[in-house]
Amino acid sequence: MTYAKSTESNSSLLAELKKVTQELASHKIELHQTRAYLRCILQNCTELIFATDAEGVVVSFSKGGEKVLGYAFEKVVGRPVKTLAQDPESFGPVIDTCQQEGCALALEVPFRHKEGKTVYCNVSLMDLTNREGQRVGTVGICQDITRRKKLQEDLIQVDRLAEIGRIAAGVAHEINNPLAVINEASGWAGEVVSDARGLSSDERRELEEAVKKISAHTMRCSNITHKLLAFARKSAPTKREFDIHEVLKETIDFLTPELKHTSIEIDFNFAGGPLSVNSDPRLLEQVFVNFITNAIHAVLEKAEDEKRIEIQTLKTNSEIEISVKDNGVGIPEEHQVKIFDLFYSTKPPGKGTGLGLSICQNIVRKLEGDITLESKVGVGTTFTIRIPIS
Amino acid sequence: MNDQPNIRVLLVDDEETLIEYLSKRLLKQGFTVKSTFSGEEAVEAAKQEHYDVAVVDLKMPGMDGVEAQRRLREIQPFLQSIVLTAYASVETALESGQLEAFQYLSKPVDYDNLVAVIRDAHKKKMEVQGTKFKEHVEELYREEAWVNAG
Repeated sequence: MTYAKSTESNSSLLAELKKVTQELASHKIELHQTRAYLRCILQNCTELIFATDAEGVVVSFSKGGEKVLGYAFEKVVGRPVKTLAQDPESFGPVIDTCQQEGCALALEVPFRHKEGKTVYCNVSLMDLTNREGQRVGTVGICQDITRRKKLQEDLIQVDRLAEIGRIAAGVAHEINNPLAVINEASGWAGEVVSDARGLSSDERRELEEAVKKISAHTMRCSNITHKLLAFARKSAPTKREFDIHEVLKETIDFLTPELKHTSIEIDFNFAGGPLSVNSDPRLLEQVFVNFITNAIHAVLEKAEDEKRIEIQTLKTNSEIEISVKDNGVGIPEEHQVKIFDLFYSTKPPGKGTGLGLSICQNIVRKLEGDITLESKVGVGTTFTIRIPIS
Repeated sequence: MNDQPNIRVLLVDDEETLIEYLSKRLLKQGFTVKSTFSGEEAVEAAKQEHYDVAVVDLKMPGMDGVEAQRRLREIQPFLQSIVLTAYASVETALESGQLEAFQYLSKPVDYDNLVAVIRDAHKKKMEVQGTKFKEHVEELYREEAWVNAG
């Protein structure tokens, strides 16, 4: 009986064991699947997903994270997570909040890319706890919004420029009328002075000089108002097919008087053959004149014997690239961001209007192209213009 | 400048001080000048006297430059108009009024350039007028010949 009982209990034990083993196996499969699922997410998602231990040291880093920040997995694991941020101290409080509240959200956190540039992410942190509810680490999901942020800023910039352009055009138009009056009045004054009798030669010279100054500065104002009006002009560019090399050569011819008494050497590094493009040659010439004039000023400012400007053209599949490179003074980094702003000028008063580059950017945008800038103080500057072939 | 033909210029601009000085300079240079300060006034003046060239401001209260120019031409078909504009460029001016003018100049104008353009406009007026006159005379001859033949 005892034996029988024991057999019975054995068999029930065996059944129990079997059941547990089966459950375990199915959990194992489930676990495996969950793992595979997680790995799949970490491998495929474009977001930066990381996990840290309780001390904030990175233990896991997603493939998307490698793309977003440029670091390989091995280079990040073992590092305190806050060192990934542009300013580690500002990232600390976010982690603290997460520890207190269990989760935390931070918008537009600046991270540092491997190459030094800033990457903006919206960050969502969540505590990772074990079965006993103890904190064992943090999981963070960071969405790279750099592009969106840039686009948004660009849009705001474009809006702002359009608004400034509109106002400036109105003001310029109103100013041209009184300028015309000043111009005629000073012209008349000039004639009266030259006909006047009874003036000593000193007085005559003084008056003539003063009248000439009034005329010259009236024209200076007029130059600004007309540039402003041109900037704000809404008319669409008139496109036609032409050879970009022709326009560049014409531009240099146009600037020959400026180059005459200098030792500036201009090198042409043109792509072979004519470079045909469907765009607005008149507007592009205006852009080239601006960039080459800037290059001339930049090399003249630098006390170096060899003053060199290189104009290069390149053709890609759908674009033409024109770059103007000089070995001039270069542009300090803090100026580089502002250089395309309306009325931003580093030249002394009367020398620059602060309009040239914003007009250029406006034109190139109208032609659906873009301008990039590379510069180093003391080494030189390269402006590159890219425009679509058609 | 005494050898130049007598050119009769009609100035139209609501900016009175501008007209004041511009007319003084043009008069001194030997032009015959009539100053008017609105499109309406210019049209009235054109009904009284003949002019060769009108210098018209584009933007004026009341009758604007485009309309003034059209009305002046109705009264004096050979009159050439030079349109002054405070807008940036000729294209912008053309956008705001499609009427044919001898030339558009942007304000402030270079005085010497204005004088040169006035002379050119006068030359054009004489040519157009001469051609029309010749056509008219030829027509008269033809009619006469036809009458004689009849």
